[in-house]
Amino acid sequence: MVCLFTFENMQSNSVYKVPNGKLLKIFLEYNEKNNCINIVKITGDFFAYPEEAIEIVEDKLKNTVLEKNLLFSKISSMIKENHIEFIGLNAEGLTTGILMCLK
Amino acid sequence: MNEKWRLLLTGASTGATNMAIDRAVLVAHSEGLVPPTVRFYEWNPPAISIGYFQGLDEEVDLVNCRRLGVDYVRRITGGGAVFHEHELTYSIVISEMHPGIPKNIMDSYGRICGAIVKGLKNLDIDSDYKPINDIITSGKKISGNAQTRKMKTVLQHGTVLMDVDVDKMFSLLKVPNEKIKDKLIADVKDRVTSIKQILNEEISFSKAAEAMKNGFEEEFNVKLELGTLTKKEEDLVKKFEKEYFSNKEWNHKR
Repeated sequence: MVCLFTFENMQSNSVYKVPNGKLLKIFLEYNEKNNCINIVKITGDFFAYPEEAIEIVEDKLKNTVLEKNLLFSKISSMIKENHIEFIGLNAEGLTTGILMCLK
Repeated sequence: MNEKWRLLLTGASTGATNMAIDRAVLVAHSEGLVPPTVRFYEWNPPAISIGYFQGLDEEVDLVNCRRLGVDYVRRITGGGAVFHEHELTYSIVISEMHPGIPKNIMDSYGRICGAIVKGLKNLDIDSDYKPINDIITSGKKISGNAQTRKMKTVLQHGTVLMDVDVDKMFSLLKVPNEKIKDKLIADVKDRVTSIKQILNEEISFSKAAEAMKNGFEEEFNVKLELGTLTKKEEDLVKKFEKEYFSNKEWNHKR
């Protein structure tokens, strides 16, 4: 499911310690009306190989609906398709960190 | 006969130069121009390095950095923010295909950290590698490490704390919650140590470097021979300093 752009934008941050992993910090701008991501910035002290893949993940998450199963599935697919190896972070942790911005 | 690797002792440099040298060696080795290389270095002025994925403004108090004359730079490796002052910093650049380097990233952290563990043992300090990227002694962190792999080449760099000033470090780093800053500082003081604290004496950089050199030779069964940067590497250092590590866009990119 992909969202269309509208103007009811909200900004939020989260800080999440991934279990057995690293500290994840998320900046999220999302559309409150249709619950879609406009911008997500993924920062923290984790490791990802290749490093540049994080920008691909951020870009491809644009317009994704902020729903747990959808988000987890999209992140998992991206990790597989782009051969990303995370250390100190995983698809579940990233999903949780993003959704924490809504609380 | 033992395999010969290159040893670089590049002294103290700015954050931008130090990170540019590591990257230049990585590129030169990936092109087959230089042997596997171990480098020991320091930072002048003292500097904060942040991990590739960290937000500079989020992690570093840039006003206090300027006030205290502390430099800052974004690394090409992940991991956390590090205040580099009283420490020995090492880097190793080696092909992913080298038989001494496990293909699995976590295993390769363990192998390379094994050289630092052996180096500390040469200083009569018992320590262990603690995944993901720490080395601990008596339950406290004495070394942090970070690895990247580019162009089929491994670069791992890390610190060995010679001394530690946690209060100064926290005057330069931002914490997620200011309300618990005092507790955080107390926790870090409990969890971090240094060669000086363990041995109850200061040792020179050259003594620490000699111990670590021997640690790498023992771990990898190689001979480290003192060398210098090639002309090509020196040119790459200038290029990478300009394009990346002293470039505002790079350092502020996240």
